[in-house]
Amino acid sequence: MIFLTVGTLFPFDRLVEAVDNAVAKGFIKENVFAQIGKTDFEPKNLEYVEALDKDMFEEKVAKADYLISHAGIGSITTALERNKPLLVMPRMKRFKEHVNDHQVSTARKFEQLGHVLVAYSVEELPQKIKQLSTFTPKPRGSEAHRVVQRIAKFLDELSLSGKS
Amino acid sequence: MPKQRENLRICVTASAGGHLSQLLRIAESWEKYEVFYVSTLKSVTKKIGRLGRFYIIGECNRQHPFLAAIVLKNCIKIILKEKPDVIISTGAAPPCLLCLIGKLFGAKIIWIDSIANVERLSLSGRIIRPFADLILTQWVEIAGKYQNVRYEGAVI
Repeated sequence: MIFLTVGTLFPFDRLVEAVDNAVAKGFIKENVFAQIGKTDFEPKNLEYVEALDKDMFEEKVAKADYLISHAGIGSITTALERNKPLLVMPRMKRFKEHVNDHQVSTARKFEQLGHVLVAYSVEELPQKIKQLSTFTPKPRGSEAHRVVQRIAKFLDELSLSGKS
Repeated sequence: MPKQRENLRICVTASAGGHLSQLLRIAESWEKYEVFYVSTLKSVTKKIGRLGRFYIIGECNRQHPFLAAIVLKNCIKIILKEKPDVIISTGAAPPCLLCLIGKLFGAKIIWIDSIANVERLSLSGRIIRPFADLILTQWVEIAGKYQNVRYEGAVI
């Protein structure tokens, strides 16, 4: 099963439609379950819902063989934590999908690091979907503990020195 | 002599979605202190509700500036009521606004710029930078571009 998710904030019809078409044309043979956000667009070839609560979301992710999503950090983190192959397509300002194009550089960065596959356009999507089945995401070593230490130190010093 | 302050009151704030999930990955940082949470959408109620008391301030961004008035009102109410000593945030716009209001009332600001910004600080990060008491980026390349921005690593 492929789980397609567009994140919590806005719909992303360009991606959903592209995946819907990929199913219709036979580029995707697996079942697709999609979370598509609040939109008028109605996919014809895949099962979909507007939103999922956290538990349902986790269940879909766990069941999925591959993930497809926007290039949002929440989705990228989800995939990396569970070691699921993820294909992202960045939202773009010119299609009014986001306030700027930062998802393009996010996608490129995580692609360079070997963590995700990226389709930069609808045209690229079928070819990238094909690569998903052989793609092994590079795991990411977290440095969160270093950030935790730095912040804890700041708070310790502040609490010892008084408020200001 | 400054008053000894064992217990800081800390406001942990991030927009629903990736910003919030990044921030909650470093929850250990503030485990010793009294904490309350502020996010932007009701959809995260389940996620932060089990952590402690929380407020939802609403969303606003460059495309919906008029919503900023509602968010602003909510931010002022929270700051006046809670009077946090420290505000910790990963962004985006509404939490940035909360930081600015908090700063006006004497809170220290800790900003961890979202990992989604790989080329330069986020817009919110650039706005908060002159006011931040500790500001971290998650990409080493970005730290070199700004005087007071530090890199300790990425939370993801």
